[in-house]
Amino acid sequence: MKSLPLGASKAPIKFRMPTAENLIPIRLDIEIDGQRYKDAFTWNPNDPDSEVVSFAKRTVKDLKLPPTFMTQIAQSIQTQLAEFRSYEGQDMHIKEKIVPIKIDLRVNNTVIRDQFLWDVSNFETDPEEFARTLCEDLNIEDPEVGPAIAVAIREQLYEVATQSVSSARETRVGKKGRRGIENVTNSKTGNSALDLLKLFGNKGSVIRKRKEWYLYEPIVDILSNEEVGALDAREELNARLKKKLDEKEDSFQTRYSHG
Amino acid sequence: MMPSSEDDLSRDLYSIPSSSSWFQWDEIHETERRELPEFFDGSAASRNLRVYKEYRDFIINKFREDPSRRLTFTEVRKSLIGDVGTLHKVFLFLERWGLINFGISGGRPRQPEEVGPRVVVEEAGAGVQVVPASSKLASGRSAVAATAAGAGETGFRLPPLSSYSDVFGDWAPGKGPVCAVCGNEGVSGRHEPLIEGGFVVCLKCSKNRNDIEGKSADDNSGHADGNANHATGAWTDAETLLLLEAVLKHGDDWDLIAQHVRTKSRIDCIARLIQLPFGDHMLGTFSGKYDAKNSGNQPTNSKAIQHASSELLPEPKTDGHGHDDVKEKVAEESTPVHPLKRRHIPSIANATDSLMKQVALLSTAAGPHVAAAAAEAAVKALCNEKPCAWKVFDIDEDESRKKLKSFPTKNEPKSAVKVEDQEVEMDKQTDAPELPQKNFSATAFQTKAAIATALGAAAARAKLLADQEEREMELLMASIIEAQMRKIQYKIKHFKELEFIMEKEYTLMQQMKESLLDKWVEVIQQIFQAGIPRWKDHAFPKSLWNNGS
Repeated sequence: MKSLPLGASKAPIKFRMPTAENLIPIRLDIEIDGQRYKDAFTWNPNDPDSEVVSFAKRTVKDLKLPPTFMTQIAQSIQTQLAEFRSYEGQDMHIKEKIVPIKIDLRVNNTVIRDQFLWDVSNFETDPEEFARTLCEDLNIEDPEVGPAIAVAIREQLYEVATQSVSSARETRVGKKGRRGIENVTNSKTGNSALDLLKLFGNKGSVIRKRKEWYLYEPIVDILSNEEVGALDAREELNARLKKKLDEKEDSFQTRYSHG
Repeated sequence: MMPSSEDDLSRDLYSIPSSSSWFQWDEIHETERRELPEFFDGSAASRNLRVYKEYRDFIINKFREDPSRRLTFTEVRKSLIGDVGTLHKVFLFLERWGLINFGISGGRPRQPEEVGPRVVVEEAGAGVQVVPASSKLASGRSAVAATAAGAGETGFRLPPLSSYSDVFGDWAPGKGPVCAVCGNEGVSGRHEPLIEGGFVVCLKCSKNRNDIEGKSADDNSGHADGNANHATGAWTDAETLLLLEAVLKHGDDWDLIAQHVRTKSRIDCIARLIQLPFGDHMLGTFSGKYDAKNSGNQPTNSKAIQHASSELLPEPKTDGHGHDDVKEKVAEESTPVHPLKRRHIPSIANATDSLMKQVALLSTAAGPHVAAAAAEAAVKALCNEKPCAWKVFDIDEDESRKKLKSFPTKNEPKSAVKVEDQEVEMDKQTDAPELPQKNFSATAFQTKAAIATALGAAAARAKLLADQEEREMELLMASIIEAQMRKIQYKIKHFKELEFIMEKEYTLMQQMKESLLDKWVEVIQQIFQAGIPRWKDHAFPKSLWNNGS
């Protein structure tokens, strides 16, 4: 690819998002006093950190959240930025690698499920554009769906990218448990890259078998408001249960390690 | 007026922008190498020439399965293995060059070509799905290009297939007023005035018409004048092209057509289409370029083509002068001194040449009597509406009768005469608009009558077809019922046989039972006679008795 002037396999490059724009996905899920704030967006890691605070301020003001959220939001963003920066400067060992990306999202009333292949070594890709095309092609009107898809793609790419940083491996494994809730949407990033030779070698056709088409086809459902309400309630319950479980586990672990 | 559906089944024509005429099924063009270098520099295992070709062919074929709807990337990517980013690039590349989604309205608006709307007509196999098939076709075509076109100009592909006449004598070439073969040279010279008339006019070089080439220059200028009269100001070439494209694509859906044209209203579009002369010059774009190109070395080339085509099509019937154009007739009627004409019986494929010819064809299909009745009814209805219209038709009637008389004696075979009858009537109606001495209302009436006749004839034809279908359905139904009946009869017979067997078995059983009983009685009697006390051997006979009863 043009984007890798020296050839990806020869000269490792410094860690970054494997996309045209080096934007990292940020996911917020903050609950204070029974009020919950969930959001997902992309962030330019080169922006000055002061931006984070002002962003938090603006968000709290726009959404009329209690001021306690401000610090939490800023903190969460900072943590995720810091995690990204901990990889920065390290070499990435990405050879040509095509991974399946799975989308399973609910945004407001729209549920979208999809699967497709993504070339992680291509640093010219644009998840936002892909998401936009997808929404245009499917006539999805909700303007929040596109960005949500883009963020979901970025999250999975981010994960793949971190795997390619050698030092990141252990930390990632350790983190997996704690990031349980966040990982609901992108649980299956760990699946291995495809065998390129098998797929693109001289024998096979790159035209997918007809019976597999449905697997790689977006499925969109528009839910009614009642369904959304029910789903929200169930998700909340699940989240709470999980949280409790996590807490228990944590306390058990701490007790165990101390004892 | 639209191409009939049976025509659509027999061929596949796709229009692509002329700027994309480099596209070949079995080759990778320079443009592709330049724009999508990642497939050709061997930088990645997942991208190579073969993969690119498969992507490209699949996407184009997918689009051509139904060229009227917009093909979306999301639809394509589910069937192709590979990085969606790369796939999207290929998709956008093909879309940008008009190889897919060309001329599809809606969705993202596409900017019109600056070069002018030139259209290349490309032929592909009917089952576009299979790539090898299409590549075979392509090679066949190029081979022809080398041999058939004496001029050997690039881009001119004239397959010697018999389908050629079906394909190019038909509607699709009319899509673009400028044909690809015309190319740059086609627009020059005598073709120029025609562009001003509202459309680019190329003369048809259909095989059965080569002999008019000598006259074409005169014809052209004549048409140009006629066209100028028709063009009602505001329509530009591009708009007319859009209109034609839309008509081909959407058929009778005028809302969609108006949407496609954009700058004109629905009514405008209808009015415009009615005004368009549906003569050879509209439809003959493809062949016209041939004329243009070969005007220099006409004798040899036209001869060659004549030769090639003569086996495929019925020879036109000539009567002396050797012109068969509708326009000839126009000229003739305005100057009645000139009675000679040349006509030919249109084959199905060529019948779309003009509205009137199609009417004629329909009427032949429906049978002359039906069509005559339709025409009569149309005229009558019109006369009821406006009594003054009758006069117009009165005059025409006489003329047509005169003409009719002259034909059989000349050179027409008897069978053709009936057709002629219809056609003459139509023809005079077509001619009417161009007659200077007739006032406008008369023309309007005639046009109306013609349209009504067309509808009538079409309806009659449809009725015939429907009747046939119905008969067929009845026949099938009857055969189904018969089959069912036969089945049931077989079953009944079978059951009867079974019953008979059962009965036989039953009687057999009865007989056996009786003989058994007899034997037992005999045995017991013997026992008694032997003097054995009965109670001592109680069990044995008892059980036998039980079994027997």
